[in-house]
Amino acid sequence: MLLRLTWLLLQKDLRVAARSREVFGFMLLFALLCVVVFAFGFLREGEAAAAQVPGVLWVTLLFAGTVGLLRLFAAEEEGGTLHLAQRTLAGPHPLLLSKSLMQLIFSGVTTLLLLPVVLVFFDAALVQPAPVLAALALGLVGQAVLGALVAALLVHVRLREVLLPLVLYPLLAPLLIAGVRVTVLAQGNAPAETVDSWLGLMAGYDLVVLATAPWLHARVVEP
Amino acid sequence: MTRLAAEAVGWAVEGRFVLVDVALALPAGSLNVLTGENGAGKSTLLDILAGARKPARGHVALDGVPLAEIAPAHLARRIARLDHTPGLYLELSALENLQLFHGLVQSPGAPLDAAALLERVGLAARDQRRPVRGFSRGMLQRTALARVLASGADVWLLDEPSTGLDRAGCALLADVLADVRARGATVLLATHDPALLPLADARLHLSHGRLVAAEVA
Repeated sequence: MLLRLTWLLLQKDLRVAARSREVFGFMLLFALLCVVVFAFGFLREGEAAAAQVPGVLWVTLLFAGTVGLLRLFAAEEEGGTLHLAQRTLAGPHPLLLSKSLMQLIFSGVTTLLLLPVVLVFFDAALVQPAPVLAALALGLVGQAVLGALVAALLVHVRLREVLLPLVLYPLLAPLLIAGVRVTVLAQGNAPAETVDSWLGLMAGYDLVVLATAPWLHARVVEP
Repeated sequence: MTRLAAEAVGWAVEGRFVLVDVALALPAGSLNVLTGENGAGKSTLLDILAGARKPARGHVALDGVPLAEIAPAHLARRIARLDHTPGLYLELSALENLQLFHGLVQSPGAPLDAAALLERVGLAARDQRRPVRGFSRGMLQRTALARVLASGADVWLLDEPSTGLDRAGCALLADVLADVRARGATVLLATHDPALLPLADARLHLSHGRLVAAEVA
């Protein structure tokens, strides 16, 4: 039941996104713009540009993800459908799950397109790509679920554009720190145990978020 | 038999009571009209009756069971709400909207003839397949009415349902309401439209948050 209803809502979100063409394009454009701005800000002649890659990559993904999150419930707000989408046969869970998946799809595709751009722009190479890809996957899952939850909590708040990053960024700090550390370590030949401990932290963080987000969401949306 | 009942319902905003001791009993198969000046608390009362807001005081019961004890999913099947927003995804077609909302509250395989419902509310076949973003206010209202029909709910709570409708649309609305009442549904509609008043089995009037008159036609 949960999966069927989640799929129903996700299909709807994909259809809305394809027809409105407003979210994904802006996310990607914003991410590229961030990379260019960071390049202007951080690149110095004679300094190794590759050292900037971990910070630039993760902060860019955080910022681009925020663009998607700010529009995550736009269709519901515009048409007044939020209460209808929350009251399903499986309660409000399919809505949170579908929104998390939607955010994950957008930020995942953005990451896949952005990663090569960052590597080329900063003349860097990933010595160990597997841990970086694993860290990105874990980071994006955490950001998508927690981001969807915070976006849902703030949906009726007037200053949500300002509040969303203020609430979300501190919560995502552990993922950001761990993601940057894994990327730094993967650029060199760091021992596997060190990388694994950071990945373990990210996986643990995601598990806590996945376990608590649906409960918190249901508590907040109930009248 | 009373289908939906409210007892001593109160609602406060910033310490000020918007609804005070509202009590009503809506029988099954009845069409009830709720009137009142702007800001009298009509929409708030409909929200509370739909279970979308918890009353600060009192309680609401559906078939004798307090709303607080009914699972939201079951409530969504029983009570349909039409408010000031159309309750539609604007990038989806009318058909897609109906299929989506039906799928969210009904079991898989539950029959739905969305095209027939949209035809019933006067939406031409060519309009049924285009995104509702391009619809006029009246067409949106007709589609929203079809969404309520598709829900299969037996309690209808409608807030200004004739908004944006032309004369033919109003006649169609009256026809649909008479039809669902005849099939045993309970309808409560808040309206300022005098054309809808003659339809009522009972008229309720709210003034400054108090139900001051309940009159059986």
